[in-house]
Amino acid sequence: MKRFALGFVVALIVLPIVCLAYFSLGFSQIRVDAKPSALETAVLRAAVRASVRRSAAGVPSPPAANDDDIVAGGKLYVLGCQGCHGDLGGPYQEDNDLYPAPPQLTHAGTQYSEPELYWIVKHGVRMTGMSAYGPFYSEKELWSLAAFLRRIDKLPREMIEKVRQKKAG
Amino acid sequence: MKNFIAGFFAGTLALIVGVLGYLRLGLLDVRSDAAIPDRTARFLYSGIHASVRRTAPKLQSPLPQNDETLIAGGKLYLNDCVGCHGEPGKPPSDFGATFYPPAPQFSRVGTKYSEAEVFWVAKHGIRRTGMAAQGSSYSDPKLWSLAAFISRFPNLPPHVLEEIQQKPTK
Repeated sequence: MKRFALGFVVALIVLPIVCLAYFSLGFSQIRVDAKPSALETAVLRAAVRASVRRSAAGVPSPPAANDDDIVAGGKLYVLGCQGCHGDLGGPYQEDNDLYPAPPQLTHAGTQYSEPELYWIVKHGVRMTGMSAYGPFYSEKELWSLAAFLRRIDKLPREMIEKVRQKKAG
Repeated sequence: MKNFIAGFFAGTLALIVGVLGYLRLGLLDVRSDAAIPDRTARFLYSGIHASVRRTAPKLQSPLPQNDETLIAGGKLYLNDCVGCHGEPGKPPSDFGATFYPPAPQFSRVGTKYSEAEVFWVAKHGIRRTGMAAQGSSYSDPKLWSLAAFISRFPNLPPHVLEEIQQKPTK
């Protein structure tokens, strides 16, 4: 039994050291242009999902969004987000220049709720290409963007047209 | 000995279950706007550098080492990199700071990567950061000129900086 406990403790100490050393010595692959394994994607995506759900639980529910808010959010999307997340109204095109690849929201939509989207845009997602936009957008803008993103793959055509109109009046 | 091995396996299993559970329960903080602890930053940056050193082939730039090369690279830098990595002579980029880990500010601190390493990173990108692979957007010669420019920060000849900062008199 003593031996068993010793083996247990040695594993707890040695394995983390091996992992840290593996990374420190440069054995980990860091180039972007190779796809993450299905296992890595599944584990990390679930981790982000769970963490966002936990962190955004305290975010108050969104102000009810009307069409104008959604269009305003859409305009922000076109200016600031579509370079990575997919052109509004454009064809599906995977972006493999970042690792993990940014979700193509215009086609895939999102499983996140409005408060969660607000939280992600505001705070960003660590160790991805998703930076924090809190310093650059007002609260109102963040909420309108969240309202737009929530509906991004289900927008009626005339809404998309409205968003894409240059200077509407 | 048998017991030791059994214990080792049990410990391994416990670690894996522990890590997966920690992740699955959402206990890992994923926000990128929290300050990165110094030790974590050092660990990440040095691990990335070690991997680049190991992987990047030690190539010689095919371009001539002259001002034209630096100016061509500088123009690319001003067009596409300053948003995150900082503009020469300006305060650090606010946008670059909102990534986790933050984008290094080359124009202030330079880089310890060699020219061939900068070329490799620009071409292939860095996983799990905001650094995208540029190989699909730029040809190799363009990336080499960029590498020449970036790897000489912060010791670029002043007339090169002046030349590239002249606003579009193309």
